[in-house]
This record gives sequence, C-alpha cells and structure tokens, in this order.
Amino acid sequence: MAEASPWDSSAWILALDGQRSAAVGERELVHLIETPTLLEVPCTPAYCRQALVWNDAVLPAMDLAAWLHGQPVQRWRTLAGVFAYQTRPRAMPQYGVLLLAGIPVRARVADEQACELPKKPGKWRKAAISCFQQGDRPIPILDLPRIFGSSLL
Amino acid sequence: MNERAQPMAWADLQAIPAFAVLTLGGRRWLLPQTEIRTLESVLDIDREVRIPHSVGAVAFADQWWPVYCLSGELQVLPQIPDERRACPLLTNGADRFGLICERVDGLAKPPRLFALPVCMTLPDSPIQALAWLDDGLGCVTTTEHLAALLAAAVETADG
Repeated sequence: MAEASPWDSSAWILALDGQRSAAVGERELVHLIETPTLLEVPCTPAYCRQALVWNDAVLPAMDLAAWLHGQPVQRWRTLAGVFAYQTRPRAMPQYGVLLLAGIPVRARVADEQACELPKKPGKWRKAAISCFQQGDRPIPILDLPRIFGSSLL
Repeated sequence: MNERAQPMAWADLQAIPAFAVLTLGGRRWLLPQTEIRTLESVLDIDREVRIPHSVGAVAFADQWWPVYCLSGELQVLPQIPDERRACPLLTNGADRFGLICERVDGLAKPPRLFALPVCMTLPDSPIQALAWLDDGLGCVTTTEHLAALLAAAVETADG
C-alpha cells in the first residue's frame, strides 16, 4: 500500500501588500502581469476602481489589501494576478484580477497546517474559506467567487 | 425626476445605434445620441435661473432647462470649472436638463460593450455598461440614470 503523502495540495502564496498575505489554489492563478495597464472606472468601490483588459475581456482589478484596511495602501510595486474561479461546479470559469505586491510563491500545504483565520481584521471571514499556518503566520485561503461577486460591497 | 432607475437590459443596450461621448472631469461618459436634444454653450446659461443643485438654466424650445455641473465621478459641483465649455441638453421625454461638459463627441460606430463586473457595481450605479474606446474605457449611462442621481442628490441635501 502506498504511503500517504504528507502534502495534500499546492497553493500560491500572494503578497497583498507589504504586510498581508493570502493564498489561492494552485490552479486558480492563471496569469501574472508585472507591469499591468490598469484603467480607472468612476463610480466604483474604493478598493476596486480599476479594470484590466485581458484576453478580450474587461476584468475587475481588486485591491484586497485596501478592502481589508478600509483605505488605500501603498505598494513598492504593483503586479496584477489573473485568477480563475467557478461560481458552481462545472460552470464556465470566470476571471478576476487581484493587485499584488510581489511575485507569488508556490507552497505545499498539508491538512495539519489548518488554523483559525486571523481575528484582525474581522473582514477576513467574508473573503476567506479557510486558513493554514506557515511558520508563525496564518495564511487565509481566498474565496474567489465571493471576492469577485457582490459579497464585499 | 425619479430617484430610482432600473438597470437597462443588455439587449436594449446593444440595440442603441449611436452614442455620444460626454467628457466630465476627464472621464468619458457615453449616452444614447438620441437623448441629446441640442448642444449649447456655457455662455448661453442664465445663472440667475436656478433650482436646487443647478448652476443655472438654458432657455430652449420655449422652456427653461435646468443645467447641472457634475464631476467625473458624477458628484454635483456648485461651480463651473474653467475647462467646461459645452452644454448638451439631455432629454428622454420624461426628464430634461443640461449637463456642462468639457467636450461632446459623437462616435462613428457603436463601441464594443462589456458588462460592469459585479464586484464593481455599487447599489444604484449609473453605469449600465463599459465601452471600449480607442484609447481606454468609457462608461455607458442614460439621461434617466443621471436624472435619478440628481434627484437623489437633492433628496440627500434636503435631508
């Protein structure tokens, strides 16, 4: 009988700003743009005021760090990660952009690393489905359908 | 003016044959060209004829048309910025008013429209769609949605 692997899944760890990180599943990150052309859209939420044209579609560019902080954040550099998600099983994938402060880092995650979501900011509960511990840091796993749906409004 | 305007059906948006591009505070707002009755100059505005939040009125077709000045974010401005020169008079039959713009341009052909992503859509958003223009994005709205926004501003001010 084959021995069970201690690693259950792969994830990308995302730097949302200089302080906060989050993770997505390995297959959810589909493209990374190091110098994105972001287009301002008026009358939109402060944390999602820009859009990115990608593969003939207009994608929302979500600044999750700004949403968590409740105010704009400064980044030394801003990258755009294009993420795929499904709103229900077997649905066509949809796409959205998260603004990032650095190149995502790949990680293997085991069930034993599961931990509570950070208590602060409390908004994490709206945006994350679970969390794992990496070193001394909790890394929330993002709920992309909620983030790119109407849940954060 | 109605304070709530229903979102336009996608098929109705796609059926709009021609758009005008109104530049407000550097932002480009697209309206159905049929909703622009005429184009006046800011010099034609009588600043003594006012209703709440208007900056004056224009006499046209035997009626006073209240004139408003909005920022690129569609916030009511009490003063007319220097760069605003044009004043299209907008009407959809039910609502009629003037809107002071930097410029008004017609589009030779209808632009490609995209739905505003759900996570960018605030309640009562005036944006009915995004439009791909030669050098970026514009926002599609209608006279009805602008009228609702102005009515809401008056209501808020009256408290």
